[in-house]
Amino acid sequence: MAAPEPPGADLVAALVGFGQALRREGLAVGSGQIVTYAQALADLDVSDAEDLYWGGRACLVSDRADVAAYDRAFQRWLGGGPGGQLKVSGAVPRRQPTLTLEPPAATTPGPPGRPERPRGSLASHAEVLRHRHFAECSPDELEALRLLMARLHLQPPLRRSRRLAPSTRGRHLDLRRSLRASLRTHGELLRPARRTRRLRPRRVVLVLDVSGSMRGCSRALLQFAHTAVSRRPSRSGVAPAPATEVFCFGTRLTRITPELARRRPDQALARAAEAVVDWEGGTRIGDSLGELVRVWGRRGLVRGAVVVICSDGLERGDPAVLATEAARLARLAHRIVWVNPLKADPRYQPLARGMAAALPFVDVFLSGHDLSSLESLADLLPTLR
Amino acid sequence: MPRPSSPAAMTAALAEHAYLADRGLSTAMFLALSLGRPLLLEGEAGVGKTEVAKALAAALGVELIRLQCYEGIDAGQALYEWDYARQLLHIRALSERAAADEAAVDELFGPRFLVERPLLRALRAGGGAVLLIDEIDRADDEFEAFLLEVLSDFQVTVPELGTIAAASPPAVVLTSNRTRDLHDALKRRCLYHWIDYPGLEREVEIVAARAPDVPAALARQVAAAVARLRGLDLAKRPGVAETIDWARAVALLGADGLDPEVAVDTLGSVVKDHDDVEVVRARLGEVVGGRT
Repeated sequence: MAAPEPPGADLVAALVGFGQALRREGLAVGSGQIVTYAQALADLDVSDAEDLYWGGRACLVSDRADVAAYDRAFQRWLGGGPGGQLKVSGAVPRRQPTLTLEPPAATTPGPPGRPERPRGSLASHAEVLRHRHFAECSPDELEALRLLMARLHLQPPLRRSRRLAPSTRGRHLDLRRSLRASLRTHGELLRPARRTRRLRPRRVVLVLDVSGSMRGCSRALLQFAHTAVSRRPSRSGVAPAPATEVFCFGTRLTRITPELARRRPDQALARAAEAVVDWEGGTRIGDSLGELVRVWGRRGLVRGAVVVICSDGLERGDPAVLATEAARLARLAHRIVWVNPLKADPRYQPLARGMAAALPFVDVFLSGHDLSSLESLADLLPTLR
Repeated sequence: MPRPSSPAAMTAALAEHAYLADRGLSTAMFLALSLGRPLLLEGEAGVGKTEVAKALAAALGVELIRLQCYEGIDAGQALYEWDYARQLLHIRALSERAAADEAAVDELFGPRFLVERPLLRALRAGGGAVLLIDEIDRADDEFEAFLLEVLSDFQVTVPELGTIAAASPPAVVLTSNRTRDLHDALKRRCLYHWIDYPGLEREVEIVAARAPDVPAALARQVAAAVARLRGLDLAKRPGVAETIDWARAVALLGADGLDPEVAVDTLGSVVKDHDDVEVVRARLGEVVGGRT
């Protein structure tokens, strides 16, 4: 495709430079989009910075999350140009999440008096690794665990989708196929074809606690999350599963699905670690769940999903908030599974105020301190009808 | 009506139909028309994503063809379907009269028995229509892939009829509420614009344009109150549509200003979540009067 009026070579070079600047900011801008932009500029006033800005935004950005990066690249691109320091009237400042981040220094690193980890209470020698508490694993053991985890197949429960698929049985008559078949028998309708509603797996939403008190388990759980995101086993006769979503929280919620959606686990984990801003800070489970419902739930990400919360339930915020938000989440989600590493201790009782507040809204309460407990989670998932 | 020749002309054309678009939106709309590309609009609920397509159709003086997406929508519901019941009856009638010749069979898969769905209608109308594909995120991946094919070439092949191509591409507006990420290929095909909540002044203008019988002072009060509502920690933040509804509701009650009593009575038109209602009631004075 050629622009109606081919733009000058200078302009093309400048646009290509801009494209490269955008890519440096992490935007996946294809040459096709640059061509579109060039065509767009033929219709716009190139000397008008606003036209340049908005035209580029329409052509080169395809997600709201990329706007900030676009703004930075645009500033730099035009900053030294004729426009000088450009101020675009309508440019949207990047919206800060409603939850304010507390400086890590302000929160105590871990709740005082947290229960002793259940050392040695689960001694199984046959499969030491499988039953080894995450917190006691060496880096090598964690690596070995990762390989074992990669074999875990998360099979979310199925739901009936609204999409109809041909089937030998089913309530819906497939007139199109029936008629085609009847042509073979001279218009005589011998056997009506049918359609039935197809099955589709529910979405799994993993919510990982990465606060200080979960320090020992965070890495292993993150590995588990990576497996869940990158491996989606397909089942015959069933629609492909929607992508597993992963969120991390300490004092605030971070979505790390895009970071984890990389094949190489070390890369994925490193990127996820960068994205999370409050590693090993305090814990505000209620506020984080609230943000999950407000920002992501309303959009439909949580609706009808199986939400797996991995947290020790040691809430630093108000337990009443946690109860309200858990109730809200329970109304939106299909099932809530709470995976609590502390539950590994047979003496553990969910008496911590946060855990006690959330428990009425939790459908399944599991331990999540070692591989075998995650395996039981994987076994449990398909049964959550 | 001729297509607008610049973003400013687009703003003016939309404004004639009571839609106030900012610079970014009009540039994106203008480019979508002049480049013949679909425009993907995203934004919070109630910021006017669907309305802008209606205004565009009105401004261009063409028909608006709307395809509302939902889970499980397929080509039969979006593109075309044969009227099977009538076809079967027709076959019956033909065979009874023993009249089934070549022409009769051709007719069976002819325009008479074709049920046109929105996409096919839009292709046929070409430049004479605005195609609104509403809430694309509700459809599933399979439908998205199918849509990509249609939007790339603006042509489809109906096996019985042959290829149907749009003479000139229709203006296409897609909206998404972002309940899921759309496929990259579709996004690349489209121009993109995020519609944000308008600023206070702009929102007052919008209320004046959409609900002309609301007194100006009241419109300003309501818009300011809604802006403060959006600042609260609500589960569902009110959109522009809610601002307009609220202003209308208060005006209908004959109140000359927004005070806490009137606000309580009409709160249902702006806050639509039970938990939110309680939050707002507790801070009503602050929301309405700007007092703390």
